[in-house]
Amino acid sequence: MRNAVSGVGLAPDAAMVTFPIPMFLPGSDLSSLQARKREFYDGLTRWKSEFAQAAGSAKLIAVEGATYEDALVKANSLLLANLWGDGLPLWPATKSRVDWILRGSALPRTHVLGKFPPRGGITTLETCAIALAMAGGRPEYLPVLTAAVEACLEAEGFDQLQATSGGPFPAVIVNGPIAKQIRLNSGFGLLGPDPQRPAGASIGRALRLLQQNVGGALPGVGTMAIFGAMRYTNAVFAEDEDGLPPGWLPHATHRHGFAPGTNSVSVVFASGVTNVRRRGAKKESPEEDALNGMWRMADFMRTPNLAALAGWEKGTPGIMMLPPIVARRMAELGWTQDSIREFLWENSRIPMDQMRRAGAPAWIEIDANPVTRASLSLDPWPICQKPDNIVLLVAGGGHPTHSYWLQAHAPSVPGRVIRTPETFEQLLAEANRDLH
Amino acid sequence: MVKLEFHDPSGALEVTVPHAPRLASLAGKRIGFVSNEQWQAYRMLPMLKEMLEQDFPGVTVLPINTFPQGNALIGTEETAALVRKSRVDAVIVGNAA
Repeated sequence: MRNAVSGVGLAPDAAMVTFPIPMFLPGSDLSSLQARKREFYDGLTRWKSEFAQAAGSAKLIAVEGATYEDALVKANSLLLANLWGDGLPLWPATKSRVDWILRGSALPRTHVLGKFPPRGGITTLETCAIALAMAGGRPEYLPVLTAAVEACLEAEGFDQLQATSGGPFPAVIVNGPIAKQIRLNSGFGLLGPDPQRPAGASIGRALRLLQQNVGGALPGVGTMAIFGAMRYTNAVFAEDEDGLPPGWLPHATHRHGFAPGTNSVSVVFASGVTNVRRRGAKKESPEEDALNGMWRMADFMRTPNLAALAGWEKGTPGIMMLPPIVARRMAELGWTQDSIREFLWENSRIPMDQMRRAGAPAWIEIDANPVTRASLSLDPWPICQKPDNIVLLVAGGGHPTHSYWLQAHAPSVPGRVIRTPETFEQLLAEANRDLH
Repeated sequence: MVKLEFHDPSGALEVTVPHAPRLASLAGKRIGFVSNEQWQAYRMLPMLKEMLEQDFPGVTVLPINTFPQGNALIGTEETAALVRKSRVDAVIVGNAA
């Protein structure tokens, strides 16, 4: 539980008495509470913070080796020893590399984006550039990373999302021409890895490093994420706007009201990913194929995902991704974005007797939001307040067999416009030179 | 030798709110609990209350439900105001896991 209080301006340590987890389970033996009562008393009378405030911006650390390779190994070992790595090789964020990355910023390096919870590390453009340098990024990725960080920092309950045992990870949806310009994937294998479109991996890994190193979300210490899926790179990808059927709106326009063609990010905290085999297996008609697939998607969504309660009113229960060829065929059959969302919402409702069987009503009763608590009167119970809560994307490879459901733990879905520097075209030209 | 110099990636911390000064003694003091009602708090905190009352003469330990309970309520400004208004000398917050 380290850092639990520093995000609100206190020193990162605090007077805490900690016990092994079995003590917190139903029916547990509480005798050690008596044996260790002195620690509680000391916490109120004798405890002192051991935190010494450090001034200034990111300090420089040096290692030496007989060769460059030797120094690189030592740097990576030091990063791990200081709990700043993720287990994969890192680029040390040298001054020249960070300066290079900062060419992608429209703002000065000292510009403060906010405090990264729960630890409360001050997050500047330079902090982002350091993380992106470590993650193998490039300058043209920095505007997307910066916007994603801003969106995370304004996400409702971000401190809890960082620390919770459910381990949600940010899924960053990018709209606008910048996606293609910086080689962000919207097609086959868009959740990565993809050497042809490497931007998502670097941006997502940098975001994860910020979550851990600046936000303090160290597994088992600052984040209680029991399983911690998708935490090497998060999920950073683009919607396939070229694949949208005529008349369909880009996600950022539907959800955030951004004009089509606006470079933007939209962040959904997801807690799991599920492939849905959507296509029929025999001689289905086009209409049957579409409808069967819709039912299969709704069936996957029809679960009491209690983490999604946090977003029942304003957030989302998850992201449903349709490959472009499926979206096009469904549009030809008369399906619209609204009718798809309506179908999925209506047919993912859960009978209240099933909710009761799973003990779900108790979680709804203690929810902070009175609107969510009032939903207990609905039977069958809808997994979110309205169809528009469901994020529907056109993305993925040009293949009809599957759709993809990312269930959410998303109290809100923040969106941000991406700002690029005046020199962005030059950066893209340099990327073309380097990556072709 | 090759020297490799790189940035500390952890970001600066800024302490704007000092931790409350500790009490000289708990004897004769007024102690409150702020409970999220999770992780067996409903069993542990009453035990703590009893121990404090046994161990410190003149201590006043407020009932566990004096302040709003539950994760949705304990972090609110309203709860903080109620705690201040109660004139407690110290608060124990629990439980987290």
